Amino acid sequence: MSDAAASGHQDTWDLVRRDAGAWDTAGEIPRTLLTELGAAGLLCAEVHKQYGGLGLTGRDSGELTAHVGSLCSSLRSVMTSQGMAAWTIQRLGTAEQRAAFLPRLTGGRLAAVAFSEPEAGSDLGAMSARVQHDGDSVVLDGSKMWITAAAYADLIVVIARSGDGAVAVVVPVDTPGVRIEKIPHPMGCRAAGHAQVHLEGVRLPAANVLGGAALALPFLITTALAYGRMSVAWGCVGILRGCLAAVTEHAATRRQFGRPIGEHQLVARRIAELYAAERIATGVCRDAAEHWEAGSPELVISTVLAKHVSATQAVRGSASAVQAMASAGAVDGHVVARAYRDAKLMEIIEGSSEICQLELARHALATGKSTARKEPAQ
Amino acid sequence: MTAEHTSASFDTDAVIDRITRFVAEQTSTTPDTDQDLFATGLANSMFAMQLVVFLEQTYAVTVAGPDLQLSNFRTVKSMAALVGRLQAQPAAGSDV
Repeated sequence: MSDAAASGHQDTWDLVRRDAGAWDTAGEIPRTLLTELGAAGLLCAEVHKQYGGLGLTGRDSGELTAHVGSLCSSLRSVMTSQGMAAWTIQRLGTAEQRAAFLPRLTGGRLAAVAFSEPEAGSDLGAMSARVQHDGDSVVLDGSKMWITAAAYADLIVVIARSGDGAVAVVVPVDTPGVRIEKIPHPMGCRAAGHAQVHLEGVRLPAANVLGGAALALPFLITTALAYGRMSVAWGCVGILRGCLAAVTEHAATRRQFGRPIGEHQLVARRIAELYAAERIATGVCRDAAEHWEAGSPELVISTVLAKHVSATQAVRGSASAVQAMASAGAVDGHVVARAYRDAKLMEIIEGSSEICQLELARHALATGKSTARKEPAQ
Repeated sequence: MTAEHTSASFDTDAVIDRITRFVAEQTSTTPDTDQDLFATGLANSMFAMQLVVFLEQTYAVTVAGPDLQLSNFRTVKSMAALVGRLQAQPAAGSDV
């Protein structure tokens, strides 16, 4: 369990639990805290020890993500971005690039990954940000939209077109031509630092292009998103755990009509729904994590399934939680009020539910009855 | 799944056979060895990533950085060639 990773920082988690509501209302997490967590390796916990990371397995990292998600989805979103940036560098970068960039991400520098654009949301193939090669440099132009954690980031991994293909470029935000514009009032994960990223004639060393060569855009997106989807899925498990803790405590102590409200059957049903939602989400995430750890090709589709199912369950479960808590939870900043808003965003980001469903349907249609064929032999 | 990289010499036919079987399992279609899996609609980007993980797991190789070209995954033959090339390289830096 990642309780090992989590338990060494109990004071920090207590602080997160205490202040998450205030961060939600203010729309900001203190930067010192993010830097501290980053320097402890906790924001991208799967990075290997040789790069200063914790080297957690996917499962342990997932449990850590769920733990943070149970306290504060904004902070968990920052983790997702940092982890996705690290994964993209690890997966697409050369050995030299891994050695150059990953220690920064485990040393307190913050990172984001920029895919979406004003005209390219679900249809990322429509993206227009572009790099041009110019000797030993590249020049980057474009606008990226709704980039989680970009308002905090020191480095942004920008996905852009290059010739007929696409590249991932590591962009330090202090490079001339980079402008970050924070989104004022996101509906959920309000302190996650969502921002627009404007790039005008941003000149960078060609060595910042991960892997050096252009890849096929869909290939690059799928690869980079895989980590983000897994992280969001575990984050949804966290949302449900946060709700479950709040609701069970409330329903056991709040008395109406002479007994704890949890003994009223209609409230009990809400609790059962929430409990089932948490178990379902945990199950699909663990299943996907096993495929990641086994290096099984099943990891690709099980990740989409985990993201889709967990987000759907988080939306349902958090709605049940708000209903069961009633007025006790109906204040902005309260854990279930945040869960209700944050969960809805999880059905939208990192591949909307609709995009995930299309991918799941395509997979089911292609594999047909062989899906039920057999468990992979180990 | 067993790692098939232990055989001393690289058996291209066996690799082609194994990759063909995987594609057939995943798409319900047995491809020709030089069929363009993407142009003929058998593969998409999701499946491309499955292919990457499949090759890595089955042949104990690391497909990283510049090798993640779609051209390396376009046909069964091109994948077999990629595996052959990666297995011939020293295993340095295989920390992905």
